[in-house]
Amino acid sequence: MMWLSGGFVFRRGTSRYHRLDPRVKLLISVLMFVTTLIVRSLYELAFVLAFMVAVAAVATVLRRVLRTMMLTALFSAFIFAVNFIVTGNLEMSLLYSLRFVAIVVSTSLFFITTSPDELEQVMKTFRLPRDVVFAFVTAVRFIPVMLLDTIQIMDAQKSRGLELEKGNIFRRVRNMIPILIPLVVNSVVRSGELAEAMESRAYGAVPQPTSLVEYRSSLADKAVAAAAVVTFALVAYSFYYVLPVHFP
Amino acid sequence: MIELRNVTFVHQNGVKALDGVSLKIDSGETVAVVGENGAGKTTLVKHVTGLLKPASGDVLVDGQSTSTTSTARISRKVGVAFQNPDHQLFSESVEEEMAFALRNFGFAPQLVEERVKWGLELFGLEEYRKSSPLVLSGGEKKRLTLACILAWDPEVVILDEPTVGQDSIQKERLAETIKMLSSAGKTVVVVSHDIEFLWPIQPRVVVMKAGRIVGDGPAATLMQDRELLDSARVVQPQLVSLHQQLTKRPERPFTDALEARRWLERGKRTP
Repeated sequence: MMWLSGGFVFRRGTSRYHRLDPRVKLLISVLMFVTTLIVRSLYELAFVLAFMVAVAAVATVLRRVLRTMMLTALFSAFIFAVNFIVTGNLEMSLLYSLRFVAIVVSTSLFFITTSPDELEQVMKTFRLPRDVVFAFVTAVRFIPVMLLDTIQIMDAQKSRGLELEKGNIFRRVRNMIPILIPLVVNSVVRSGELAEAMESRAYGAVPQPTSLVEYRSSLADKAVAAAAVVTFALVAYSFYYVLPVHFP
Repeated sequence: MIELRNVTFVHQNGVKALDGVSLKIDSGETVAVVGENGAGKTTLVKHVTGLLKPASGDVLVDGQSTSTTSTARISRKVGVAFQNPDHQLFSESVEEEMAFALRNFGFAPQLVEERVKWGLELFGLEEYRKSSPLVLSGGEKKRLTLACILAWDPEVVILDEPTVGQDSIQKERLAETIKMLSSAGKTVVVVSHDIEFLWPIQPRVVVMKAGRIVGDGPAATLMQDRELLDSARVVQPQLVSLHQQLTKRPERPFTDALEARRWLERGKRTP
């Protein structure tokens, strides 16, 4: 839960990175994501991860990103173990497991610096159906609410003698039932209430409602976007034509 | 019974929810914790049950530190009915819901059956025994959560905003239940904004503001301190306001409307 909260939930910030046009932030994250997929050696991946850490430092979210990296490492350890058992190739197993960390960080950087409102504007840029945009943005917006709900439900059940950390794996899974049922029921009830509240405020009355905010990229946004594309092109070129390949 | 020694707690977002809180609640006392939203009332309650551990200071329940005791063990002594009943109801039937905690605490099946029956009768929920708790009304759910707590007979009963969603008749019944628990020697802690509900119970009142205790004393005394109540954004009970506005008045405020009426009818004699 804390992994999800720390790694993907937006918190307001005042850094230059936070103030960037959300479309530029998306572009940077997509380019980092793609770079992560095209790396072919641990050196290249180390460079990509270092770049991500630098971006996180600029965005003043370094501590959150490092914590996300640490917690993601638990999952990547599993990826490493499976790969190493199957292939016996240490370097490739390390590459695949660390690649997972880099993928999570690249997406995390976008979500923790982009508010749900900005996310909505970005999705509208791609001319996605309004209902789809609304559903997605609402889901993102409700993640912190659901986390809070989960904590409160766990507190309530623990106060009734439920011991979540006790017993074998099967008992622990069974102990989650008193947590999951209220969580799901509350979410369904809340979504119904939200739908009624939206309809009572004329949601869907016109096909193209006006928007309060219209994003216009500044010169600085355009410069950052151009720099990101050029950096990506140079990095991709050097990965394929300059740096040596360690394994196919 | 409950003792908080200079307890400080800071939330992850840096907000200091409790700031050097010291409080001692003796066995059998009825205490109301009041204060505006965000004053730290629920955080204080969660410290008593061990759900939150203090950043500094210590919380003792029956001599045991909550920092080193599991919530499940503390819960056997301290029953909490949280504000939102939807956060705990999950079973297939009302009776199963009530039996959940009793089974967690290892009660014998016969005793579980007896306690469930007692709780359902006490809160007028017998007719819903086989119904899903999820289909009950807001007030019924609230009563069910209270019944669930009282079923295992904890020494301390903590009620977090118990009057939310309750009609006036249910509030009266709830006040009677609190008095009944009090006379049975239970320690009762009520966290509430509903001053009119608390006033007839005449509890010891603890006023909280910005994570600190700014007032602590009997309701009859404390509720007359308008300056303190205003600073903590607590509304003075209407009967106390009435008492203060009367030119000829009895020595102490009326504890309920009936008492005020009788006094007026008897020619303004002291109640």
